[in-house]
Amino acid sequence: MNYKSGICTFCGTGCGHLLDVRGDKVHGVFPLQNHPVSKGRLCVRGWNVHELLSTPERITTPLIRKNGKLTEASYDEAIAYLVENLSKYKKGAADEIGFLASPRSSNEENYLLMKLARAVFNTNNINLDSEPGHRTTLDVMHNATGMAGMLGSLEEIRKAEVILVAGIDITKQNPIIGSEIHMAARAGAKVVTIDTRNTQIAKLSSTFLQIRPGAYRIAMAYMAKVLIDEKIYDAEFVKRNAEGYDAFAASLSSLSDADVAEKTGVTTDELKAVARDLAGAKTAMVFFSSGISGFPKETVSYILNLFLLAGKIGREGCGVNPITGINNLQGSYDMGIAPDLLPGFQAVSDKAALDRFGKEWGVSLNATPGKTVYDLLATNKLKALVVVDHDETIIRNAIEISKLDFVAFMGAYKHDCMNYAHVVLPIAEYIATDGTYTNTERRVQLSKKKVEPEKGILPGWKLYATIAAKAGAKWNYAAPADVMAEIAKLTPNYAGITYDKLQALGGVKWGGARLDADKLPKKLSFAAVAGNFAVPQASEEYPILLLVGEAQHYWHQNNLMKKTNLPLREYNATLLLYPQGYVAISPQNAKELNVRDRFPVKIVSPYGSMEAMVQVTDKVKPNTAYVAYFVDEMVTKFFMEHKDVLKRGEDATIPVRIAKV
Amino acid sequence: MYLIKKSQVSDIAKELQKEYQVYGPVVDKETKQTMFVKADDIAEIDLAAPIPAVPPKHTVFPHYERIMAYNYDPQSKKVDINPDFDDKPKALFGLRSCDLTGVICLDRFYLGQEFVDEVYKNHRKKMFIVTNTCNVPFKQCFCVCTDSGPSAREGYDLNLTDLGDQYLVEAGSDKGKALAEKLGLAKADDSYKKKKEEIVDESILKFDSIAKDNKAWVSRVVNRVTTGLIEEKTWEYIGNQCIECGACSFVCPSCSCFNIVDSCTSATAADRIRTWDSCSYEGYTRMAGGHNPRKPVEDRRSKRFFCKLSYSQSKKYLRPGCVGCGRCQWVCPGDIGLPNVVTYIRREIQK
Repeated sequence: MNYKSGICTFCGTGCGHLLDVRGDKVHGVFPLQNHPVSKGRLCVRGWNVHELLSTPERITTPLIRKNGKLTEASYDEAIAYLVENLSKYKKGAADEIGFLASPRSSNEENYLLMKLARAVFNTNNINLDSEPGHRTTLDVMHNATGMAGMLGSLEEIRKAEVILVAGIDITKQNPIIGSEIHMAARAGAKVVTIDTRNTQIAKLSSTFLQIRPGAYRIAMAYMAKVLIDEKIYDAEFVKRNAEGYDAFAASLSSLSDADVAEKTGVTTDELKAVARDLAGAKTAMVFFSSGISGFPKETVSYILNLFLLAGKIGREGCGVNPITGINNLQGSYDMGIAPDLLPGFQAVSDKAALDRFGKEWGVSLNATPGKTVYDLLATNKLKALVVVDHDETIIRNAIEISKLDFVAFMGAYKHDCMNYAHVVLPIAEYIATDGTYTNTERRVQLSKKKVEPEKGILPGWKLYATIAAKAGAKWNYAAPADVMAEIAKLTPNYAGITYDKLQALGGVKWGGARLDADKLPKKLSFAAVAGNFAVPQASEEYPILLLVGEAQHYWHQNNLMKKTNLPLREYNATLLLYPQGYVAISPQNAKELNVRDRFPVKIVSPYGSMEAMVQVTDKVKPNTAYVAYFVDEMVTKFFMEHKDVLKRGEDATIPVRIAKV
Repeated sequence: MYLIKKSQVSDIAKELQKEYQVYGPVVDKETKQTMFVKADDIAEIDLAAPIPAVPPKHTVFPHYERIMAYNYDPQSKKVDINPDFDDKPKALFGLRSCDLTGVICLDRFYLGQEFVDEVYKNHRKKMFIVTNTCNVPFKQCFCVCTDSGPSAREGYDLNLTDLGDQYLVEAGSDKGKALAEKLGLAKADDSYKKKKEEIVDESILKFDSIAKDNKAWVSRVVNRVTTGLIEEKTWEYIGNQCIECGACSFVCPSCSCFNIVDSCTSATAADRIRTWDSCSYEGYTRMAGGHNPRKPVEDRRSKRFFCKLSYSQSKKYLRPGCVGCGRCQWVCPGDIGLPNVVTYIRREIQK
């Protein structure tokens, strides 16, 4: 049959699909009915994946920059050039070499890239873009529960009586998870959305609390306080399973009803009602974004603590569920793509763990955690950078990157980053090799090879092995399955995972279906919190709080969607309406400014200004404004000045003044 | 009318394979999903398989198809245009009547109006169709509400009806008759006509107990949809649940909308690609000047159901646009498959 089963490559949901493969071409896609997560559904991105897989915008040959121009080269030449240049900095690798990995690469490829950085080029400087996003969330989860991943299960969404959706436009970011939540609501679950914007899921919820920007933390803390004050928290569960209750309870004492109402912009009665629902239900889940638009550490901590108090962790139909926006974001952290992490969330500073890796790899490894590429770029010490198949956020640092001595780009699709690269190495598309991907709920799924790589292009795992060989290392992998065998050997939560086991539809979930409160290796602990409930304040000079968020067709300034046709049209539809990008403001603000939809305005912050058009919408509240990341032509320069703000994710706000031009 | 032993029914497909690429319902061994695909081996085709997840629409209107390649020669300033699409003859074997009705709707869109679509015509003109009467409905079926089943009435070359140990074979065209004669099938007398009617009646009676997923008496809502008397808030209720994935259009046997893109393969060459499109997408109705008459999602949704359920549209198809297969309900991430929409509109009418 020409339809071959596989895993969608876009977001962290990990939907199953069937690709219409004839020869080496993909002619269409169809949803997979028996897939445990997607159950025969796909979103706009998934329904058009074959357009990406048919794009001529691929990198088809290795390239070396000669006299300022990228010129065709053989793999031998390009790999030799790469190794020669990276080797120059091997001595000072701790400061001078950086690897920017991709959350889209398979586990095997990321594992080998990580091994290449650490074992061959002596550096722990390897990271993703989402250190402030998913990483922060994983830290909170890991510290509190020992599980560095989503605590609940997507398959159990329909078993939850109460579903809290916090600050995530989930029907846009992960549409099929949004669909599951909606289906649960149709079957009687109570869905509560807390968001600054009136999103689609807000419209589909039984309760929608439109809070002020940056007030998620205080709202969550207040609901925890209600559980304690009204003595409706699950005292037995907490006593039996958790540590740190007293300190957490004490941190809430400073909250006053008046303060909460003022800062959140919703009434305390509304928050109390949600808290009571949470406590009264048998099962409850919370969903929030953990990607670049995720919450800061404190907010995640309060969410976790609230659910711990309510006893809605570690049981069927329950869970604290951070949702990844990119297909293998979870897997990339599982594979140790972080300056201070080895695979399986083992610390680089953990000597026993490091020795296990060193022994297996036959090298001695550096026990000092590395730095992120972004931190290194800021110090001006970085000399050489390797970037793999990335979304476009890297371009925010174009100026620093263009000053580097050596930049290598590896990827399947053409990318703006190639403009700064000295060498470019093509990687075969994901359907041209076997590989595993770990979705947001820790589900490891095998995507099988469906086509031959174009014109002898190497799949990532083979490319990295060839680079390692050129640099003098001896790696023996005949196939990606061998890489998984090594991963399983060294990574406790992947122990026992083999390609044979992954043949089953839906793969294998590490850590079990969900965190299990009856089988905890150690007690759960309340996340440490600072008890600081300040919220961002607008001033007279800058009266509007500007938020940054996601959009359906171009989430994360996505390089991939620009290579499609239909989703590209949808993107262009927005751009044609708002050629300069847009800032969404409320009808009330529009009236005050005397502007209508598509009027040009100037947005001024304490650090800089930009021009954009307004989109007038009742989705945002008065004195709140919203820009989508994806309009990078518009936001890139502006946000250069706001890097720190972006690190704070969904709670990130920039006070601005908007003026008619 | 003819008869063929059950064990020999694949002889029809084997005979067809001599001249045609044979498509039929195939159950994927790994995923257990039935797909209507080209069978390399006739033994793969399973006439008893559940209704295919993908309708046979892709055999006449592929999901993603290069219809033309062109190359510009800057020196001679000439363009070399090559129409390029698959025009091998196809046989559809074991088609359900709803899906045949879908193809008939597509015919009336692509062939029956002012302009004849050459690409579609090439897929369609050399086609041989063998339909398969549904003795038992599947649980999502509602063809009895849309006048498109459980047995095909027109448009087939041969129609099969399962009689237990043999199939009744009805010829619907000269081509079909010739094939039956060529295979030397035994003639069936008029008593089989009655037998078939009984089987169809029984099948219809089974809808009540088996086809429980969907009830969509489309005739009850045609008037409202046509006159536009449905309240805005009903469309908003429907629009709020639309995740804008396009799935309902893609799995619909009768949805015919397409998009055309010229994809550059080099500085001087491009492929013209035709792909499925969906009215759920915002860019679908946007005009060149930027105006979009159907920008809000609920307006786009009402357009879809106008297409499936209105009298004005039925005049073009000579029947309702919905064929009662129930697939849109399967794939919808919201809860707005066509049968549900009919329910929501009827609920409003009753109020």
